[in-house]
Amino acid sequence: MSTTTISIIKKHYRLFRPISTSKSTASSSSQKHTRYYGFIPEPAIKNFFTGRIWSRMNTPYPQSKIETYIKRGYFDITPAVITEPKLKCRRCLNEQRPKFISFHCAKCQKTCHYCRHCITMGRMCSCDELIMWKKEQPRSRMQKSQVDFTWTGKLTVHQQKAADELLTSLKQNRNHLIHAVCGAGKTEILFAPIYASLKAGKRVCVATPRTDVVLELYPRFQQVFQQITIHALYGGAQNDTQFAQLILATTHQLYRFENAFDVMIVDEADAFPYTYDEALQRAVMKARKAKAPIAFVTATPSTKLLIQQRNEKWGYSFIARRFHGQLLPVPRYQALWNYEKVFYKEKIPQKLKNWVEQRLQNQQPFLIFFPTIELMEQATPLFQHIEPTIESVHSEDPDRKEKVMQLRNEERKGLLTTTILERGITIKNVQVAVVGADNPVFTSSALIQISGRVGRNMHYPSGDIVFFHHGITMEMDQARKKILEMNYYE
Amino acid sequence: MNKPIQHCLLCERELNQSFGWEELLRKTLPQTICPRCEQRFHRVEQQQEEGVVSLYHYNEAMKDFLHRYKFLHDIVLAHVFNRILHEQLKNEKRLVIPIPMHLENLKTRTFAHIDELLKAASIPFAHHLIKLSNEQQALKTREQRLQTPQLFEVVNVTEIKGGNLLLVDDIYTTGTTLNHAKRALLQAGAKTVKGFTLIHG
Repeated sequence: MSTTTISIIKKHYRLFRPISTSKSTASSSSQKHTRYYGFIPEPAIKNFFTGRIWSRMNTPYPQSKIETYIKRGYFDITPAVITEPKLKCRRCLNEQRPKFISFHCAKCQKTCHYCRHCITMGRMCSCDELIMWKKEQPRSRMQKSQVDFTWTGKLTVHQQKAADELLTSLKQNRNHLIHAVCGAGKTEILFAPIYASLKAGKRVCVATPRTDVVLELYPRFQQVFQQITIHALYGGAQNDTQFAQLILATTHQLYRFENAFDVMIVDEADAFPYTYDEALQRAVMKARKAKAPIAFVTATPSTKLLIQQRNEKWGYSFIARRFHGQLLPVPRYQALWNYEKVFYKEKIPQKLKNWVEQRLQNQQPFLIFFPTIELMEQATPLFQHIEPTIESVHSEDPDRKEKVMQLRNEERKGLLTTTILERGITIKNVQVAVVGADNPVFTSSALIQISGRVGRNMHYPSGDIVFFHHGITMEMDQARKKILEMNYYE
Repeated sequence: MNKPIQHCLLCERELNQSFGWEELLRKTLPQTICPRCEQRFHRVEQQQEEGVVSLYHYNEAMKDFLHRYKFLHDIVLAHVFNRILHEQLKNEKRLVIPIPMHLENLKTRTFAHIDELLKAASIPFAHHLIKLSNEQQALKTREQRLQTPQLFEVVNVTEIKGGNLLLVDDIYTTGTTLNHAKRALLQAGAKTVKGFTLIHG
């Protein structure tokens, strides 16, 4: 090794240092050798922590190792809850006072505060600390060429146009809004722009509010991008230690990232709880790198989002047609007076009963949406009396996935559900009824999404969607109007 | 507690609380969970252990509660059972002694879970025991539990001498913890020692 190379190594990496002559008198025989002097961070640790914000005491690595890295200055440290000037959770950026609990902490012998908003990810109180990797990304040029794009599907003209527009926006580092009706094939639109970003060595995150959607997207992305590491992050998922260039995550999981992504895609941008929860919106902002573009994808953009798009001059793509080119099924209204009372008298309202029997006769799978879990639980045994395979699902149901699968495989004739199944699911030839469409939980966007479950299959492009109601609300009218508008478009 | 509770501590649904003369004049403890969540806990109808009163059966809901309270350290959940504990223990004549935590465990958990339950129910209590080992009964087999050497040491012996005592713990599984504490207290000169647990496992 020539001296110049050594000096370069010394200068840039500081890994090796020839033993200095003044000290080496004792061991002059080994003078020619160089001794290991520096510290090389383990790739695994570097990969894991890049872009993440993580609890100091609870990492997937041995504590002593983490402490060594901290001592060597590889991590930034911050208290988990900032107390001054006002309580703020460093992880989920929550600032709402009622969400903080103060107590006398036996560990630090002082009053401690913790944030209940993100407690499911492990409690963090003001005497706990979070660590963030300081050094830059471990991206190397080698990784860039390794992205493999194995998607053979074909986009429709509309999809292609939207994909091109999104790509242009991302290249210009500009935010983008894709407004496409339910069943327009939004996921396919994302493939090509994501591929381009990955090829450019960018780190991409697809965030969505619901675990179900992450689970559905994950295998599809895995198939399309076979060479790169993709992580699916949701509550209860395993921690992978590799560096993933593409991450699919629920918006909650974004709490654990900071300054991490070059491209952020928010799928179902309007879905509960994303619209309601300020903290989640801030989490999206926190997880992306400064000025990294965000692409919002939704079938029902809120007015706020549309205004923001216009004022801040984001890119905008609009698709009014489904991928199979057929019109959207338009909901019809049917009065179901005092449905709640009838259910509590242990009866199914006659019109609803007729509807269900019709579906059973025609052998069509069906979904019935209920406004509350309580009412649904009241109704379930009554429906099971007609047809024993009918089941109910709600957000706290651990067997939700299986039940939906069974409906898809035609092992079940129908499902009762709350709004939890309003989006992200596709069942061939499904027919839908909404019981109590007048209830405030059924906002116009929820009703549009629910109507969007019908007729998604190319071979069954239509179907029945009924709003059973106790009085027509503005939200119902608005949903119907918007669907009709889409059908008149072009 | 920092503020009045407006949402169910367990499911975040809004609580529709009534506020009337009774609440104003009698200073009842606040409602903290919704009726739906309350329903999921099952009361013990008939006491199964001698000298021990338990309030609830161990079921899925209780498992979830313990997980959130003891392992996720959500200290505010101490208030979930405030009313019932208050109701059960408010007229207690005996001296209430919670099972203590080992100091090291206390530091990792950051709070003593039984003390907090009692505080939330505004029941006065006193510590006369010290836990000697920091091993957890929950991690042991039945045989190991039965062979455990004395877990507790009594402090302030003079105060409990000849007294009637009530030991409070969160869960009764094999009874090892309560028996050890009971033995230690009886040896130190207590007259009677009974047990009270939130859950019968």
